[in-house]
Amino acid sequence: MQPFNMRPDQLAEEMLDYSRKLGKGVENLLNADKIDAGVTPKVEVYSEDKLRLYRYESPADVVQSSVPTLIVYALVNRPYMTDLQENRSTVRNLLAAGQDVYLVDWGYPDEADRALTMDDYINGYLDRCVDVIRKRHKLDKINILGICQGGAFSLCYASMHPDKVKNLVTMVTPVDFKTPDNMLSAWVQHMDVDLLIDTLGNVPGELLNWTFLSLKPFSLTGQKYLSMVDVLEDEDKLKNFLRMEKWIFDSPDQAGETFRQFTKDFYQQNGFLEGGVKIGDRQVDLKNITCPVLNIYAEQDHLVPPDASRALRGLTSSKDYTELSFPGGHIGIYVSGKAQKEVPPSIGKWLDERIK
Amino acid sequence: MSESAFWNEDWMKIQQSYWENWNNMSRKAMGMEPPKSPLENAMDHWWQAVSPSASDMSRDFMGRMMEQTKSYFRLAEGYFSNAQDSNNWLDAANRTVSDMQSMFNNSLESVYNGTETAGDDAMHKMMAFWEMPMDNWQRMVSSLSLMPGDLLRNMPHQDGLERFLSAPGLGYMREEEGQYKKLTHAVVNYQRNLGEYMKFFSNLGLLAATRMKDKIQDVAESGKQIDSARGLYDLWVSSSEEVYGEQVMTPEYAKIHGTLVNSLMNLKQRLGHVVDEALGGLNMPTRRELRTLQDRLQESRREAKAMKAEIELLKEQMIEMRSLATSQPKAVAETAAKPKATAKKKASSKKKAATKKAQPKADAS
Repeated sequence: MQPFNMRPDQLAEEMLDYSRKLGKGVENLLNADKIDAGVTPKVEVYSEDKLRLYRYESPADVVQSSVPTLIVYALVNRPYMTDLQENRSTVRNLLAAGQDVYLVDWGYPDEADRALTMDDYINGYLDRCVDVIRKRHKLDKINILGICQGGAFSLCYASMHPDKVKNLVTMVTPVDFKTPDNMLSAWVQHMDVDLLIDTLGNVPGELLNWTFLSLKPFSLTGQKYLSMVDVLEDEDKLKNFLRMEKWIFDSPDQAGETFRQFTKDFYQQNGFLEGGVKIGDRQVDLKNITCPVLNIYAEQDHLVPPDASRALRGLTSSKDYTELSFPGGHIGIYVSGKAQKEVPPSIGKWLDERIK
Repeated sequence: MSESAFWNEDWMKIQQSYWENWNNMSRKAMGMEPPKSPLENAMDHWWQAVSPSASDMSRDFMGRMMEQTKSYFRLAEGYFSNAQDSNNWLDAANRTVSDMQSMFNNSLESVYNGTETAGDDAMHKMMAFWEMPMDNWQRMVSSLSLMPGDLLRNMPHQDGLERFLSAPGLGYMREEEGQYKKLTHAVVNYQRNLGEYMKFFSNLGLLAATRMKDKIQDVAESGKQIDSARGLYDLWVSSSEEVYGEQVMTPEYAKIHGTLVNSLMNLKQRLGHVVDEALGGLNMPTRRELRTLQDRLQESRREAKAMKAEIELLKEQMIEMRSLATSQPKAVAETAAKPKATAKKKASSKKKAATKKAQPKADAS
């Protein structure tokens, strides 16, 4: 059979239709200037430097878990991805599942934060946030939910402070940084990280944007904008798109010393598997983790391939290790309607079963 | 925006007449030259008219969409002009892909020797699609420096210059001359690595065109059909993405990528040194000094936070001790109420003391 069935009149009609949508849809685009994200009411309970610790307000009709859960987001991009909009909010759905949710917002580091190390972030900021929550709730241990790089931080934290972690949830978290399908890892092997940090100080968000867009340049910097013409006329869909667009390009700079250690110890040395990671004066050994672990990964994740996350199995001393996979991508796990129906309730159920 | 605005009238009129003209012409199979495309000019003109009223974010987003729209239209145009001569659409598609391959082939040399030329025809401009990774790089470089990201792109590097730069400096200004030579050397090095990076992508365009041909063959064999320009465009994107994904995972690319980033950083570092020297000469604080201060400050803050935590802990312990002290009379009263237990403890401690005393003897023996 002929692979093409494109008559000239059809083609001309298609082009004209496209032009019509583009012309009409632009009005919505010009009007859509203010894009809100982070929709669930929250209260700031602690702050230190640029860090803010928030507690989200639970719905009145939901019975809250007695053990709070702290969400530890990555330093890359902003944590409002977990609370993007009303119908796409992991936070909201965790609250609905009866969890008492806290979140660390690391803020936007600037040149004055260049010397912040992983020790400052994990044994300093994060540990103090955990202590604040423990004190507020008069508990020895709380739940920690780490996302992506925040998941790697949470693993480090739980291995160094096992006495403060009741249950650990890791989402799209890299553990084996050298799986054959890990593009980011392949690209940094020949990079002189010391030269990069000594030169730039902090790592600019633009450099990270470029790196992430380079993973799929034709889809991420081209095709998706063409696809959007189809929804330009729909104000809500356009806002959803712009909200995602805002999040993607809302990339804080990375504190130089933290980036240096993270890239060298994990992306270049594969520290969770090979060992030898020292944060401050403490050694990171995942065998120190004995609490229950729920490891969630996305089956089509191009940033953290599934094998990179699944490598966690067997690396801790936990006798209660569970894996949960979701058919979606790195971001889809937070924004797809299906993911929102499945993932947060599963987390809530898993946590509840280990608290009662 | 009012109904009489440019976008709603002129834009649509141009569009309508352009596509109708195209349609009529191909129906009549007149075999004449395709109409000179007013499309891109119209699009640029239109966008210039509406973009000032857009927010920064909308403008950026819309600009990206415009670029893709041009690629999409160009692909359709290329296909369409090939289809005019024949009713065989497979042949037209094959010719479209062949055009792409030949464009990529021709571009290889021009990219290498820095004599890129932009043709007017749609297929030539389609090549710009494969400039996207390069374009991203240039945007990033621009964001990191005062100079435009493509400043060094077409500047041919000269081996003679490198030889000159490697000559040692002489005399009183030796050190300063050395600094500038190192800086120039870094520029040449970066420019060479940028050329390698561009060459890598130019090769991939050719591979992607071949992959697209294979995919079209697969479509034919599976009994499916592509029935829109959008379908053709999507096929082009997936072919490009597939080839790109395979090639950037090779050790060769990892090296090209790492070398490019390293050479850019080396160049920036050299620039930083020159700037620092100039600032130092003006008695202004340099970046190097600021960083030393930042490191020291962070160390002090770390110590201060640790001390604060220790003080908090001590405070808590003091409060505990105080509360113990205030509850002590009660504890004494309770102890008095249990004479037997106290007597037992006393007996036990006497026994322990006796053992302790006996110990040195045992050790001595």
